[in-house]
Amino acid sequence: MAGSDLFTGSLDLLILKALQWGPLHGYAIGRWIRQWTDAVLIVQEGALYPALHRLEKRELLSEEWGISDTNREVKFYTLTRSGRLQLRRESARFGDYARVMTAALAAARP
Amino acid sequence: MKRTFRFEPRLQDVEEDVRREIEAHLAERSREFEAQGMAPEAARQAAIAAFGDRGAIEAEVRAVHRQTVTARRRTLRWDELRQDVLTAVRGLVRSPLYTAVALLTLAVGIGANTATFSVLRSVVMRPLPYPDSGELVQVWTDHRARGRAEPEWLSPPQYFAIRDQVPAFSAIAGYQGWGPSLTGEGDPEALAGAAVNADFLTVLQVPPALGRGFSAADDDANAAPVVILTDGLWRRRFGGDPGVLGRTIQLSGQGWQVIGVMPASFRPPEPWQILRPIRRPVTSRCNHGCIVLRAIARLAPGATIEQASQQTAAAIARLIPESPEDNSRVGSWLVPLQDQLVGPVRPALLALAGAVAFVLLIACVNLASLTTVRAAARTREFGVRAALGAGRGRIVRQLLTETVVLALMGGGLGIAAGVVGTRVLAALIPTQILEVQAIGVDAVAVMTMVGVTLLAGLLFGLLPALQGAQPNLMGVLRTANPDDGRRAGMVRRGLVVAELALALVLLVGAGLLLRTLVNLQRTDLGFQPGQLIITNVAYPSARFPEIATVSSNLEQVLEQLRRHPAIAAAEVDDVPPLAPGGDQDVTALPDGRIPPPGVEPGGIWYRSVSPGTPRLLGMRLVAGREFGPEDRAGAGLSVIITEEAARRLWPGEDPIGRFFTSGPDPDSQRATVIGVVADVRHDGPREPLKMQAFFSVAQMPTRGTSLLILPSGDPAAAISAIREIIRDNDPQMPLGAISSFSERLQAVTALPRQFALIVGAFATSAVVLALIGVYGMMAYAVGQRRREIGVRLALGAAPAAMLRWIVAEGMWLTAVGVGLGVLVAAATTRVLSASLHGVDPLDRTTFVVLPLVLGLAALLACWIPARRARNIDPVEALRAE
Repeated sequence: MAGSDLFTGSLDLLILKALQWGPLHGYAIGRWIRQWTDAVLIVQEGALYPALHRLEKRELLSEEWGISDTNREVKFYTLTRSGRLQLRRESARFGDYARVMTAALAAARP
Repeated sequence: MKRTFRFEPRLQDVEEDVRREIEAHLAERSREFEAQGMAPEAARQAAIAAFGDRGAIEAEVRAVHRQTVTARRRTLRWDELRQDVLTAVRGLVRSPLYTAVALLTLAVGIGANTATFSVLRSVVMRPLPYPDSGELVQVWTDHRARGRAEPEWLSPPQYFAIRDQVPAFSAIAGYQGWGPSLTGEGDPEALAGAAVNADFLTVLQVPPALGRGFSAADDDANAAPVVILTDGLWRRRFGGDPGVLGRTIQLSGQGWQVIGVMPASFRPPEPWQILRPIRRPVTSRCNHGCIVLRAIARLAPGATIEQASQQTAAAIARLIPESPEDNSRVGSWLVPLQDQLVGPVRPALLALAGAVAFVLLIACVNLASLTTVRAAARTREFGVRAALGAGRGRIVRQLLTETVVLALMGGGLGIAAGVVGTRVLAALIPTQILEVQAIGVDAVAVMTMVGVTLLAGLLFGLLPALQGAQPNLMGVLRTANPDDGRRAGMVRRGLVVAELALALVLLVGAGLLLRTLVNLQRTDLGFQPGQLIITNVAYPSARFPEIATVSSNLEQVLEQLRRHPAIAAAEVDDVPPLAPGGDQDVTALPDGRIPPPGVEPGGIWYRSVSPGTPRLLGMRLVAGREFGPEDRAGAGLSVIITEEAARRLWPGEDPIGRFFTSGPDPDSQRATVIGVVADVRHDGPREPLKMQAFFSVAQMPTRGTSLLILPSGDPAAAISAIREIIRDNDPQMPLGAISSFSERLQAVTALPRQFALIVGAFATSAVVLALIGVYGMMAYAVGQRRREIGVRLALGAAPAAMLRWIVAEGMWLTAVGVGLGVLVAAATTRVLSASLHGVDPLDRTTFVVLPLVLGLAALLACWIPARRARNIDPVEALRAE
């Protein structure tokens, strides 16, 4: 989490965020992230899946097979209670981080 | 109860699951590309390209997902177990009587077993605390061919012959008891010690922790006197100061240099505090005839005890030409040291182990029976649960969980009881063995018992569990079918019969031990210890070189003691009864004649007493007179002998006025018999009779003796008076421990008393358990047959007939159980014979009275539930169905 690779950490946080409004299947999560980040963060679309399963292993997500809008059998992910907590905590941390970094990088000569 | 059902994939499904998930992703992605206007084939290719390295990603996801699934399955199983345990505990709490009885049963059974096996393993099975202790043997000589049943010590020539001529021994060391008094280091103190050959510690293979061991030079008669201290003495008297090495300490008025201190872990074969070299040359005066040495030897590698025994006998035989009267028909008698030390208590402990194994068996039988009854009563509950969808396996597991939970709780209680029990049992073991072997709760014993508990739990749970899980739903739900439990009934009856039989076996054992105890207490010891107090005094030759001064000083001390208001009487006796370490035998030749060949000259104990001692000890004069003023120093030696001595020395003749000598020389002193006293059982009721000879201390002075004091009132006042008078007389004189005769007598009968008490306790618990079993079975049978009884009563059967019908069945079972118990008891009480005294293992009274008592108790246990059968209201019984 903290101190881990910027991109990995960001991906986890984005997944949690994508699920904030309700269950989504893997492809829909990927699509949401692509839309909101201009596809900057995801180079390989497949990289999403290991991240999803790691979050599930940490019991931040739970999974369930269901039927998508397109009538296909897909696996849905839902935020668990601790996932929701993690999202809140990590959003705050990332906000602080981004603000400090931005301020520092925008600094003029002393 | 809130219960969430979750998707639970099997591990094999993980691969398929991951493949399908990624396939779905690719399909969705292609669909999106198609929607952007690509051809289906190209869209598919684009989706695959955008996905990245599918193989690597899939492998990674599979690995992570597999861990998730495994963890989840574990949680689920744990939840289920917790649920089972909770249900079990709730079930147990709902039937408090069943739970209490079951727990008590287990606690008694397992507690008794833990305690007994801890002691058994500590004393009998664990090797002695010496390296390769299996090689150590105690060396005795065998005089059975000469009519002496007991093993004997060695004479010095025998010892040297064995040392030099037995290759099967790698080392041998002789030793003698030694009781010096320590002075000049604060309060004088009488010590228990041994004079040993230089090789002694080499034989045991335990070197001193400080300083050095004895060397061959130390054993020389002219060597400087040296001693080795035990750790206990070193710490107690010398503050654990290593500076004690090289110091000279005063022992019995002579200086001895301390050369070593034994390690704390060293346990001597006898409770010694100090060791010195034996330094005894073989003198002409005491040679072949002196049987004074004990010896411990170590078998050479690969040698057997049989080889050593043959070689030892051969070595003794080679001494025959030199001294035929002392060595002909003398064999070797080798006893492994372990047997030597624990031999006396082994049969008792093994019998005890048998008894507790029985109790555990009864406990298990009772639990099985109780659980069966309970399971049968819950048939309806199981039926309902099965109807609600619980699988057969689930119900079996539920029942098993219940019994295992019960077994574990009972096991915990039992081990706690075992810790207490081990302490109680340890009190049973003679202290001499405790000195060698520390007794504690044994880890292996505890582990074994935990294993037995779990096994018992599974066993007594399995049978009813399988019965309870019979999937005969409709039958169960409609009504309790009386024929359903026929097989279960047979099992129950069998269990009750077994319980009664086992209880009777224990009861008979306890009965025999109780009669033994009564016999022991009734035995005439030949003396009455009463309120006497006893303590030792010693006059070392270094400070009292003249024996005459010893006598006059002793006389002075006695006079002072007698004058003290707290003391009613004071006498001396150098071999007082019930004291450890009686004197060695002295040969007694009646009328000074050498016995004809083939007749062993009798060994007689010499006791040097003051004239009033026999009367003070409550001995009965049966012929002749007591000591009088004429038996003074310088006059002809007078002796009072015991009836046993009179019988053996002059069979069928009047001993008064006859004399005996201790040797064949014409100038041996003659001891003329002036009186005969009733036989004395010197060491307690179980000891064989020994010949004893009483001499007046005036004619046979002694340097070490015991004061026998009768307090006139408070014993404590008498004790402080003794201390005061002895100290005023000579501040250097060590005073041994002060004890009372009644304490000593208690100690002698403690073993049989506690043994009887413990077996009695086991028997009582077994009987109670068996009666619970009978009661439970009858109560169940009546409950089960309510309907049948109701019908019979409705059809006009007399209530009394119902009562007879039920009781008859109970009595039939009781008769079979008790009868079987009598047979088993008759076959097994022989195990106890070593612990019995004055009662046959097949004692008629015991074998008639106790079965009757148990039978009557069982009848009562049947009667109470059977009376309920008489009071059943037919209308209600029939309506209930």
